[in-house]
Amino acid sequence: MVSASEWAAPPTRTELIENLVSGVDRYNPNNVGILEDYLYHQIRSQEYDCLANLAILKLYQFNPDLYNPDVVINILIKALTAYPFPDFNLCISLLDERPFPANPDEPDPLPSLLPVLTSLYNLLQQCRFPAFWALYRSDKAESLRDNYTVECVGFEDSVREVVIRAVTPAFKRIGTDRLSTYLDLSGDDLTAYIEKLGWSLDAESGVATLPLNPDNQIVSTVVQENIQLPQLTKIIAHTQTVA
Amino acid sequence: MAQQAAFASIPDVVKRFIVHFHQAVLENNLAEITVAYESGWNRLTEKFYAKTEWPEAEVIAPLVNDDQIFLILYRELYYRHVYSRLQPDIDDRFHSYENSCELFNYLLNSDGPVPLQLPEQWLWDIIDEFIYQFQSFCTWRTKVKSKTDEELQLLGEGNQVWSSYSVLNVLYSLIQKSKINEHILALQEGKSTEEIAEIVGEYGVRPLYRMLGYFSIIGLLRVHSLLGDFTLALKVMENVELNQKSPFTRVTACHVTTYYYVGFCYIMLRRYSDAIRAFVSILNFILRMRQYHTRSYQYDQINKTADRMYALFAICNALSPSRLDDNIFNTAKERFGEQITKMSRGEEGIPAFEELFIYACPKFISANPPPYEDPELLQAYIDDPPVEPIQRHLSLFLSEVRAQVPVPTLRSFLKLYTSLDAKKLANFLDADEEEMVQQMMVMKQASRSISRVENGKGLLDGQTISTSDLDFVIDDNMVHIAESTVGRRYAGWFIRNTEHAQRVYDTIKSSPLPPRKVNVTQTQPAQAAPAPPRNAGAKVAWGGIKVA
Repeated sequence: MVSASEWAAPPTRTELIENLVSGVDRYNPNNVGILEDYLYHQIRSQEYDCLANLAILKLYQFNPDLYNPDVVINILIKALTAYPFPDFNLCISLLDERPFPANPDEPDPLPSLLPVLTSLYNLLQQCRFPAFWALYRSDKAESLRDNYTVECVGFEDSVREVVIRAVTPAFKRIGTDRLSTYLDLSGDDLTAYIEKLGWSLDAESGVATLPLNPDNQIVSTVVQENIQLPQLTKIIAHTQTVA
Repeated sequence: MAQQAAFASIPDVVKRFIVHFHQAVLENNLAEITVAYESGWNRLTEKFYAKTEWPEAEVIAPLVNDDQIFLILYRELYYRHVYSRLQPDIDDRFHSYENSCELFNYLLNSDGPVPLQLPEQWLWDIIDEFIYQFQSFCTWRTKVKSKTDEELQLLGEGNQVWSSYSVLNVLYSLIQKSKINEHILALQEGKSTEEIAEIVGEYGVRPLYRMLGYFSIIGLLRVHSLLGDFTLALKVMENVELNQKSPFTRVTACHVTTYYYVGFCYIMLRRYSDAIRAFVSILNFILRMRQYHTRSYQYDQINKTADRMYALFAICNALSPSRLDDNIFNTAKERFGEQITKMSRGEEGIPAFEELFIYACPKFISANPPPYEDPELLQAYIDDPPVEPIQRHLSLFLSEVRAQVPVPTLRSFLKLYTSLDAKKLANFLDADEEEMVQQMMVMKQASRSISRVENGKGLLDGQTISTSDLDFVIDDNMVHIAESTVGRRYAGWFIRNTEHAQRVYDTIKSSPLPPRKVNVTQTQPAQAAPAPPRNAGAKVAWGGIKVA
């Protein structure tokens, strides 16, 4: 079960960042460096802090001269891995129109990469995982892979976690073929990954069994009406007076 | 001379009103100020100034002995009137900004708290109007093509006017000065009045600052939503509890606004069940309140917001069906029935979603002005204008909707079975099996959303809950389905009818016996006490008896 309180305040956030995110200092353009460093820390150590990254985007919203396309792309990549939280869309909400062409020498990579990122996100939203991996490995995403996701530690593993988050509630047992297309792993890699997850694998029939969790155990319930005593007090009291 | 002529043309009633109003403000006579503010001003506006502006502040200054503070307040009302009834031009906009700055400067930067007292309705209106003028200015500012040269020049020079930073600065300063967050926390912890007074300092104890600080929190909720930062909007409301006892319910307009923006933020955060809960509670409140409140302009505005909330409720219900409140759902159906049917039809319903979203969403603004100070950039801006904020947010919302498009069809099929082979289901849907499995994962995810739990603190917290009554699991290639249903509710019916029967019985027992007729003495006693209520439901038998 995913809880929102961790999403809102991840335990890996330091006090300094906490003050920045929750206070008025978040509007101070001088603090953007601290938040950007924190983003790079997240990238290197596979952590994620949504609200801090949104704070960076807000500073960019108000101070277009601070705009740094690499930072934005890294934030979006991190947000991709947060699905089913709506972080990706929240980030795009804060990306004001097209930022003004600041530097004609350094071309802005964002406009060309944004459609790719958006398509990747849409594929995740629609749980079309094989299509996601196909797009990700294709030429269109080449610049994304070479420049950005390669820096982001464990990006592919984080995406696999997204897949697992989608698969676990829906399946009791899943065929390994299907699973391998979802995870973009095959053979021994797949076996190792499944074992790491703690699922049991039945090698001959090629079916992996998922551990039981509240989501994939379905129970048909009938919501019975709960009649409370206070509702009956008037009637019961009346019988007393009549008697 | 012109000013004297203008002065002479003011009706006497108005002059007397202004003097009386001024007197009330000087004496801090809250009751008189409230009457003058709420009814006096509106009455005179209807009578004399329905289509024109009130006299300018300079003209009436001699009536109030040039009291600058009162003139600032007067101008606040003057510009509010201009914005709502007339079309403000660029001078009006710039001047109203300056006036607001003067007002907040006076409140925040004087030596110590000011001895002014104003009714809460007015304090809320100050904040509300300030944000409204900001929003109006931003929208007007982006329309570059229709500006005259003079306007272009003024805009080029004055890009600090109505800047986002200054608006946010005002709101945050009010919050900080009044220490309203600490105040709320202290109240929740149950501290005594003296301790609270110490915590909040000399500004926070005064009701003027306290309410301004409180309303500024709601103001921030609104501004952040307009700028597209929905998480921050909910985060600033951290300490405010959304229940009937909170101070924001004291001003109806504030109450409605708060729930509207909170609900909308939840929609953008995909927390549809939280949004539904917020809308249902406020719509029920408005229905109840309608019987008491018929005061003119506020009532119209509240109704308009209520209408938009019905649309948003319809959207949420289509995306995350729940059986929370049939009453509200029926009203929404009356109003938006056509769109509701379309929205449950999957792909075809997307235009309906779009229509309702555009109707109901806040008027988003962009944080940055067009580059008025640089003519070249401005020309580039005109040639290739950026996407409007509302379109941006709409497309983000529609992408979420599109992801859930297969869900209604899947639901209708799954409802028919308890277990089903995946291939068979794919055949029914005329879809590729793999695609269908993916759609089922989407459906599963759609039925889980984060929702606030009973004791959760703050509006961003929540746990994942299941929101659908239809649940399924895929066992390799078999789909098992379970549906949860609501058992028949009979308690209410029985209780009501039992009480009705009791009332009938009591009435009969206490009513006088019919007069005995001499020749039918045998049958009288039987008739005297008509049968005890045997058929509780068959009221037809006692058509003649009126039950209180």
